[in-house]
Amino acid sequence: MGIGPSTKETTLHHFRDPLLDVVSADEDLDLLGVIVVGTPDDNEDKILVGTRAAVMAECMRADGVIISSDGWGNSDVDYANTCEQLGIRGIPVTGLKFSGVNGGFVVENRYLSGIKDMNKSEEGIETCVVGENNVTELDARKVTAMLKLKMRQAK
Amino acid sequence: MEQEVKDLRRLVIKAFHMNRVVEGGENKVTADGLMTVNRSCIPEILKEEPLIEDIAVNIIPPGEHDRWTNTIMDIIPISTKVLGKLGEGITHTLTGVYLVLTGVDTEGKQTHEFGSSEGNLKEKLFLNRAGTPSEEDYIISFDVTLKAGMGQERPGPMAAHRACDKFLQLFREQLKKMKGELCTERHEYHDVARQGKKKVVIIKQVAGQGAMYDTWLFPKEPSGVEGGHSIIDMGNMPIVLTPNEYRDGMIRSMQ
Repeated sequence: MGIGPSTKETTLHHFRDPLLDVVSADEDLDLLGVIVVGTPDDNEDKILVGTRAAVMAECMRADGVIISSDGWGNSDVDYANTCEQLGIRGIPVTGLKFSGVNGGFVVENRYLSGIKDMNKSEEGIETCVVGENNVTELDARKVTAMLKLKMRQAK
Repeated sequence: MEQEVKDLRRLVIKAFHMNRVVEGGENKVTADGLMTVNRSCIPEILKEEPLIEDIAVNIIPPGEHDRWTNTIMDIIPISTKVLGKLGEGITHTLTGVYLVLTGVDTEGKQTHEFGSSEGNLKEKLFLNRAGTPSEEDYIISFDVTLKAGMGQERPGPMAAHRACDKFLQLFREQLKKMKGELCTERHEYHDVARQGKKKVVIIKQVAGQGAMYDTWLFPKEPSGVEGGHSIIDMGNMPIVLTPNEYRDGMIRSMQ
């Protein structure tokens, strides 16, 4: 498993990413930056790069993180670990990932409560229709609102 | 706490809307909204790309999506840097037209990773998303046929992206010279530090495992290929971008 047509973020998506638009326009938030992290093959590498991303967020003194991925399956290992590494550093995290009916987390931990399913298809599957299950502005607003709540609770 | 907003830098994106995209005698784009596309540049591109057998360039007008498509590798905006580097200064971009890169090899193997989108275009493309054209947009279909067995090997899709980048550069060079005041939309973005507010980071977890599962960063042109670096080659390590760098086309999705 990896990235299917309906979840994959095209170059055009990155150019006009709704998640960035929503977070950067929110005057209650100070957006420090966007961390781009890859998804290696090797399991040890997966843990390494995700942990470095969490360390980076800590060093940036982030009060909260929104994490988004357009892949699922083996890349859940990366995703869940990054959430956990943020969690044990006391940084609240919310995010978006495809789950539907067959893409639920392949690994789980206690720091995934703020992760929202970005599935849009009725059947809850990888439909192979380009763009169908992509992150929208509404998704971005939900996870941003959720993060604000979590950051307040974390105080 | 007293809030202080510190303005770090400014990015201006000027859009030029294309009302009509047609086949013509040359590859030309003008600020009055007409774009003409010609395939004559393709043999030159093919000479430099030994892994590519052939490239078909077609214009798909809005609403005419009842047609075959090979699997969609990427959808790319046509943008160019006019002043400054990615993330600051001035960028020109086209609206009303986007390039759709598709791929297959001579043996019929589709260039896809996990699930592929070949079939009838009207059933395979969800319109009006951030990452897809709207129902009013023209599509330039750049359909690459790779040599046998190259459809799913890393150098194959990379060659397809490179060829498509060379094609788009012909338009970027003209877009660069368009008079800024003739733009149809102007967007101004500021990287700001909102001191005293909750500090937030966005983490984007992207593809980094091989052919059709790769992400490139730091191209010379917005959403381009040339000059870029693969996140795989950078060990998939995290990289920080400013919000303006990200929205100025710093990422090329090589999936």
